[in-house]
Amino acid sequence: MSTEPISIIIVEDEPEFRRRFAQIIESEPTMRLAGVAPNKREAQALIERENFDVMLIDLGLPDGTGIDLIRSVSQRKPDVDIMVVTVFGDEQHVVSSIEAGATGYILKDSTPADVISCIRLLRAGGSPVSPVVARSVLRAIRSRMGTSSTTPTRSSNPENNPLSARETEILQLLAKGMSFNEIGEILGISPHTVTAHIKKIYRKLAVHSRGEAVYEASQMGLLKT
Amino acid sequence: MRIGSDAGRKPLEVRWRRSVCRAVALAALALASAVQPAAAAVVIKAVEWAAGSQGSTPPPDAVWLKFDLPYRWTSAEGSSLSPLALRLHFDLPAAPSEALAAFIPVDTDGGRVSVNGHFVGAIQAPDDRTHVQWQRPHLLAIDPTLLRAGTNTLLIQTAYRAGYHVLGRIEIGTLGEMSTRYESEYFQTSTLTWIGATLAAVIALIFGVIWVRRRDAITGLITLAALLWCARSATFLVEIMPLGMRFWMRLLYFATKGGFAAVITILLLRLANLRNRREELMILIYAALGAVAFVITAQYAAPYLDLLWAPGLIAMPAFAVVVALNNRLRARQAPHWIVIAASALIFVAWAHDYAAGIGWLAADSTQALHWAGPLLLVALATPLVDGFVDILREAESARAELETRVREREQLLKRNFERLRQSERAQAENQERQRIMQDMHDGLGSQLLSSLMLVERGAVSNEQVAQILRESIDDMRLAIDALAPEQTDLGSALGNLRFRMEPRLRAAGIELIWDARKLPEEVKLHQDAVLPTLRIVQEAMTNALKHSKAKVLRVTLGVEKVNDATWLDIRVADNGRGVMNENTSGRGLLNMRNRAQKVGALLNIETKAGAGTVVQLLYKLEAATSGGPNARSENTQLNTQAIIERARMT
Repeated sequence: MSTEPISIIIVEDEPEFRRRFAQIIESEPTMRLAGVAPNKREAQALIERENFDVMLIDLGLPDGTGIDLIRSVSQRKPDVDIMVVTVFGDEQHVVSSIEAGATGYILKDSTPADVISCIRLLRAGGSPVSPVVARSVLRAIRSRMGTSSTTPTRSSNPENNPLSARETEILQLLAKGMSFNEIGEILGISPHTVTAHIKKIYRKLAVHSRGEAVYEASQMGLLKT
Repeated sequence: MRIGSDAGRKPLEVRWRRSVCRAVALAALALASAVQPAAAAVVIKAVEWAAGSQGSTPPPDAVWLKFDLPYRWTSAEGSSLSPLALRLHFDLPAAPSEALAAFIPVDTDGGRVSVNGHFVGAIQAPDDRTHVQWQRPHLLAIDPTLLRAGTNTLLIQTAYRAGYHVLGRIEIGTLGEMSTRYESEYFQTSTLTWIGATLAAVIALIFGVIWVRRRDAITGLITLAALLWCARSATFLVEIMPLGMRFWMRLLYFATKGGFAAVITILLLRLANLRNRREELMILIYAALGAVAFVITAQYAAPYLDLLWAPGLIAMPAFAVVVALNNRLRARQAPHWIVIAASALIFVAWAHDYAAGIGWLAADSTQALHWAGPLLLVALATPLVDGFVDILREAESARAELETRVREREQLLKRNFERLRQSERAQAENQERQRIMQDMHDGLGSQLLSSLMLVERGAVSNEQVAQILRESIDDMRLAIDALAPEQTDLGSALGNLRFRMEPRLRAAGIELIWDARKLPEEVKLHQDAVLPTLRIVQEAMTNALKHSKAKVLRVTLGVEKVNDATWLDIRVADNGRGVMNENTSGRGLLNMRNRAQKVGALLNIETKAGAGTVVQLLYKLEAATSGGPNARSENTQLNTQAIIERARMT
């Protein structure tokens, strides 16, 4: 971990939550609040202006969805960790954010300790995941490989499956509700490595979906090559 | 039923009819041209005849009888082979410089031929063992050095047997001229007979095959006529035969001559819908007369039969043509125009041959029937071919119609199926909506309402309000986990519950042990069962958190096979103080029982004071999984299959 404080920006339209997150970060000495934005337009200016390590972002902004912001930041500033703030942690929001380039998500009602530890986890090279999200990631990848979800490992096509066998195994264990510690014990790796794997999986999913989007766009004639 | 386009059917039929008409016209033309002799040749019109011994030159004192050509004579039956010398004179204006040729018409008896005492060639003539009846012309080249200006003499030494004989006009001309004449005559006599016989054989074969399958009278008669024509042609094509065969060939000749006339007459009458057994019998009797008379008179009648019996035969098809024509003009059932025309042609050709045969006509060709016979057979085939083509077309259009109908039916089925699916989807959506409504009503809604009342009464502290809201949010999370877009995976949803509960349990000093080792990768519960199951587990864990004062909470998830059934087995066990009184902490337990009952699960609660509580939920998976979406799609398939089957039957 670097000795520099982790600089963070917050993009959140609801003032209550914006204040709450700002307080949590400001009260943590190893972190620094680099700026807040209540909407997309201001967020874009903030992103241009500031250097930051982590972006906390709510998807539902008054002037559009946060997905576009996630995508542009993840492409232009690959070192930045993007953390989606979600009410329920439901798979639809989380998975589409991951596909856009987010590497973490946090529930809006999380305790301050949770928020801090989640940001630390991200900066340490890991990613959080819930069992339902793990299951959804597995499903998203399988549906891209065009195979049925019941026999994944046998029929998986290595060309289409961006995940390694170990990564798939970790996702499967996560989906069953196992903790990082339990998975680490089962696989003989540290919990930290497990979270690192998850981050890698997220990145692969994002790259994969981006490639797919480019391919589909070129098929539709949207891109001039 | 017939909707095939008429535009498409005309060309073939028209083409077919035109070609038949053209053939008939050509035949008539050929008949006319056949009587024309070559223009520039010398035609010998008289012959000198002397009886004598075979092979030897007639003595100088031989008696020469003079006759005009063509000369016809009949030698009585029983008379033996008679040697004969024929002397013919022809004048040449000058000694020729190129080869000449003698053209000897059909019906010759052959013989040894010499010009001015020099041998020029020989044509097979009858002898002791062989009978000869030439049906083809002959051509003999003559060396110009043998000829001189003025009168030249052609001598033919031959022999003849009992029967009717004709010596046609022999023509002398240049070799080139005579070759053409010869080729044309040869074609009209021999080649045409072959062609006619072959055509008749093909027609007999085709119609015979049809007849064998269908046993239809008209087809049978056409086959018979064609076969008779083949046999008749054989009596013309076999020109040299052993003597013993002559009787049979002559018998065959009379039998087929009568037979063919009778069969085509009956055929024409039947096509004109005239089916009179007595008439037909009389026709047959007359037709058989020739052969019968030939046999019972021991061939004596043969020369007279052609003369006296044949006109009757010729009259028969003429009569049939008149009847058919009458019917056609009166728009009654009648043979096709082509058939009537060809039958009329048969009559004309036959009459012509007869007239030429007995010398009423200047021409001596008696081969017109060779044209007309096969033409009639082809003409007879025409309407049947038309009918066949019509049937084919009908079958095709019927098939096309059937295909259109099937396609329409399929479209209809597809539409119905689509409608069915839409209504199914709508139904599923409706069910989902109702489930969510029910859930809001039972869960979050009532919870919020009761909380509101508590808050309004002022009976709760801030902390309690936070607690109530937190529980409401928990309940909502549970509902969202259970509402996964595809199929909810129970393991993951329980996993989420675990991570939600873990910090709270930890804060209360309870260690959570989560054992999902026996849980398969995905557990597919019926959609309606997921949320109640989650709620039961949450309730059990919350109870342990709130009331048990336990140190350890163990949640074990597994799927086990007992006998043939697969059971989902969930156990929530704590090592706390146990449920002391079911009434005090009973609301939660009652809720759990109600929920378990609703989804058909078994709920066991074992509790012992001081030894903790075990809540066990057993859910039979087999029925749940097979009653899921898979079963529904199977059902729709069955429905669709039934609809298709019903549609095919109507």
